[in-house]
Amino acid sequence: MGKATVIPFGPQHPVLPEPLHLDLVVEDERVIEAIPQIGFIHRGLEKLVETRDIHQFIYVAERICGICSFGHSLGYAETIEDLMGVEVPKRAQFIRVILHELSRMHSHLLWMGLAADAFGFESLFMHCWRLRERVLDIFEATTGGRVILSAVCIGGVNRDIDDVMMKAIVDKIESIESEYKEITDTFLKDSSVKSRLVGVGHITQQEAEALCMVGPFGRASNVAYDARMLGRGAYGDLEGFEPILSDEGDCYARCKVRALEVNQSIAIIKELAAKMPHDGIGEKSKLTPAAGAQASSVLEQPRGECYYYARGNGSKNLDRMRMRTPTSQNLAGMVKALEGCDLADVPMIILTIDPCISCSER
Amino acid sequence: MALHTSFETIEIADLVALAERKRDEGYRFVQMLCVNTEQGIDALYSFMKGDRLENYTIAGIDTATQSVPSVTGVFLAAFPFENEAHDLFGLNVTDIAIDFAGKFYKVAMDTPMTVISPAQKAAREKAAKIAAAKAAKAAGKDASADDLEAKLAGMDPEKAAKVRAAMEAKAAREKAESARAKQAELEEKLAGMDPEKAAKVRAAMEAKAAREAAQEKGGE
Repeated sequence: MGKATVIPFGPQHPVLPEPLHLDLVVEDERVIEAIPQIGFIHRGLEKLVETRDIHQFIYVAERICGICSFGHSLGYAETIEDLMGVEVPKRAQFIRVILHELSRMHSHLLWMGLAADAFGFESLFMHCWRLRERVLDIFEATTGGRVILSAVCIGGVNRDIDDVMMKAIVDKIESIESEYKEITDTFLKDSSVKSRLVGVGHITQQEAEALCMVGPFGRASNVAYDARMLGRGAYGDLEGFEPILSDEGDCYARCKVRALEVNQSIAIIKELAAKMPHDGIGEKSKLTPAAGAQASSVLEQPRGECYYYARGNGSKNLDRMRMRTPTSQNLAGMVKALEGCDLADVPMIILTIDPCISCSER
Repeated sequence: MALHTSFETIEIADLVALAERKRDEGYRFVQMLCVNTEQGIDALYSFMKGDRLENYTIAGIDTATQSVPSVTGVFLAAFPFENEAHDLFGLNVTDIAIDFAGKFYKVAMDTPMTVISPAQKAAREKAAKIAAAKAAKAAGKDASADDLEAKLAGMDPEKAAKVRAAMEAKAAREKAESARAKQAELEEKLAGMDPEKAAKVRAAMEAKAAREAAQEKGGE
């Protein structure tokens, strides 16, 4: 056994798009302990609820993260709607879920590309991002923006998607579906991919439950929880919803869960597009949250469950808005996954957790 | 399955026992947050199992004299939130499993979330004034109603019923007159407005009246 050495990892590292620092305590090439450190880019966005009213804050919420921007505006709007008892028309709920599932597709494809790049499969990376571009094209055609959508308002959505556009969306995701199958096959069957992912960063179901892990990270260890199961909004109108699970608990399982969730999102969009109601898209609510009123809700973001909390003070501003993101919740699991791994596997393990530091440092 | 949320208040001394009970019942730790209030810091802990999201609040913690025990011995996942509560709100949390000792976030000032902005102060003062005015109005109404009831109790029952009916009729007349006066005043204002804006105001007023009528109906 060698002498214990501390190796600093990050905050700048080729595999990390965002600043995360780890102190890796290693003996020879084996990691004994990992101590995470975030906090390099804290922006104080939650404090802005005091100076931005409940409608203006949507634009702050969706700037928390560039990848799950739509999810944050949706989660925020749903919490404020709970706070004030606002009813949202069915059509608006359907449009919200369709855009949210498209966001999940774009997030997972982006992540799969980064993973392929990290294990040195450049052409796979390019194919993933090529398909992701088509999802961004849908965003641009329906909302006018490729990433920041500004599509949600408290009480509904800002823009309708007419039947012609909806058909075009379904046609486009069907064309993505056929090409995506080849990518999935490569991720799940290629021997070079398996050699980098199978058995790496293993976490058992018991450990995952004890560490309260959420999202694809938890589901890859067979934790049967996905906030979409709660059936909020148009998720309740689906014929059925079962979370994608894997019991392997390693990097390969995390990759598999995300790969299959893209197919699940495609199926959800197609089902909802076929059932689209015509009762209007709602309008911006004119209500004000009561003093002392509080509400909390959860939403399944691409990286996992996100928790939202709001407390009113009787004015158009809130006393407190909280967004607990999946990365904050998965930090304990990440520490566990890194214990005992080879030093060379650290970047791959961190990547399969898909940490989002800008989400965590609001 | 739909989400059921609940909010309860607990004491600092009950926190760790609550976390242990929730763990034993199969709940998972969801998050911990703080709210800066006039009375001190409110710390809110959330646990979830199935479709139940339970939030427990420790209200009005004085950060100068009080500290909160860590729940990381029960749920390790709480360590980022407890470090955050310390760095941003100045909450003293004892025995955190991974304690960054105030260096979790690199912030330009200590406990930035405890600063009460002028906007928040104004909003709180306004809410307090409205609450005080409502309480005073309710107290005034209650006092006059109590006096009347005391007088009526000493009267002949038949006469008391007549007086009560007359009082109710008078109240209804006054309410109707007040509504008419308000409506006339509004019409006068609308007449002087741009027609398009006037139509919007009229529509908003009608929607508000419909909402109030629906609420009254619901209250009955």
